[in-house]
Amino acid sequence: MNTKPFPSGLSENAVMITRVADRQWHALEDDLVVGRGYAEHRADGRLFVGIDAWHDATFDRLAEAMLAQLPTPLFTLVDEADVELTAGWRRAGFTIGRREWEYVVPTDPRITGLDDVLPPSGVSIVPAGQADESLLRAVDRAIRDEVEAAAGWWQSMPAEVIARPEGDTVVDPSKYGVAAAPDRYLGLIRVVRVNRPRIGLIAVRAGEQRRGIARTLLAHALGTLHRSGSAAAWAEVHESNRAATALFEGIGARPVSSNLELVR
Amino acid sequence: MTKDKNVIEVEGRVVECLRSAMFTVELENGHQVLAHISGKMRKHYIKIYLEDRVLVELPPYDLTRGRIVFRYRN
Repeated sequence: MNTKPFPSGLSENAVMITRVADRQWHALEDDLVVGRGYAEHRADGRLFVGIDAWHDATFDRLAEAMLAQLPTPLFTLVDEADVELTAGWRRAGFTIGRREWEYVVPTDPRITGLDDVLPPSGVSIVPAGQADESLLRAVDRAIRDEVEAAAGWWQSMPAEVIARPEGDTVVDPSKYGVAAAPDRYLGLIRVVRVNRPRIGLIAVRAGEQRRGIARTLLAHALGTLHRSGSAAAWAEVHESNRAATALFEGIGARPVSSNLELVR
Repeated sequence: MTKDKNVIEVEGRVVECLRSAMFTVELENGHQVLAHISGKMRKHYIKIYLEDRVLVELPPYDLTRGRIVFRYRN
């Protein structure tokens, strides 16, 4: 444990920064914790840091101590609207690595215009819970390989924050609807309903894109949500993903916030 | 020995989503606090919306502010 005193500006007593565990720091004042910092590896292997402090001065000192003791690169996440927190990380030398827009997606077909969408010829939609697990895993793996070869960022997607067994990217097959050809699956959509419906993933095999398959998958998933009483779903879209942006905005989805991944 | 729990933890309900990623949370006793999301929740992409039931940490010296540290399943 190493401890470093500094004047906090909160009182006449000095605040001490203490490394209480390998990746955990406390800011102490009068022997009380007035701020906490931590570092954690995400499933993709990147090291993320976070600080909870009630005052900027405490934040800055925790950041200073942590950054001096951790390897780079380091990452953190902020809501772009959180000006105070974003400014704190910028003071610590972090810059924007990526931006994701959070969309609210209407489910009502009268708003989305998806009520008369039919699958392309030779394609059928398999509802969530009815997909063949081996075919589902095969299409998921194939799409990830294609994305990795092209854009190269699926491993750092927000959906990948949950640790999974080695090589397993489909944790709960029942959450996936798929677009199926007679002999294989061509695309998938994952919708999770914890408190609110969230579209965690929608993707189509590279050679099958621009046929309307993603739109068909969305029509199916949103229609299902609408019939079960959900007026909206949520989705996050990387700002560089123009296809996804066009798909969602084309059905009336609107961005409501943005998350920044900061890096140093 | 340090006291990590020198905060007050109370349950509440999000009654307003404000700009600057802040939330008004109504506590069980009827008081309202201005709260933001903890770093760990942010890291795990846990979102907070209107009407969510949450657990809030309050600093002992300022009971008008808070930090949302947990979101309950509805």
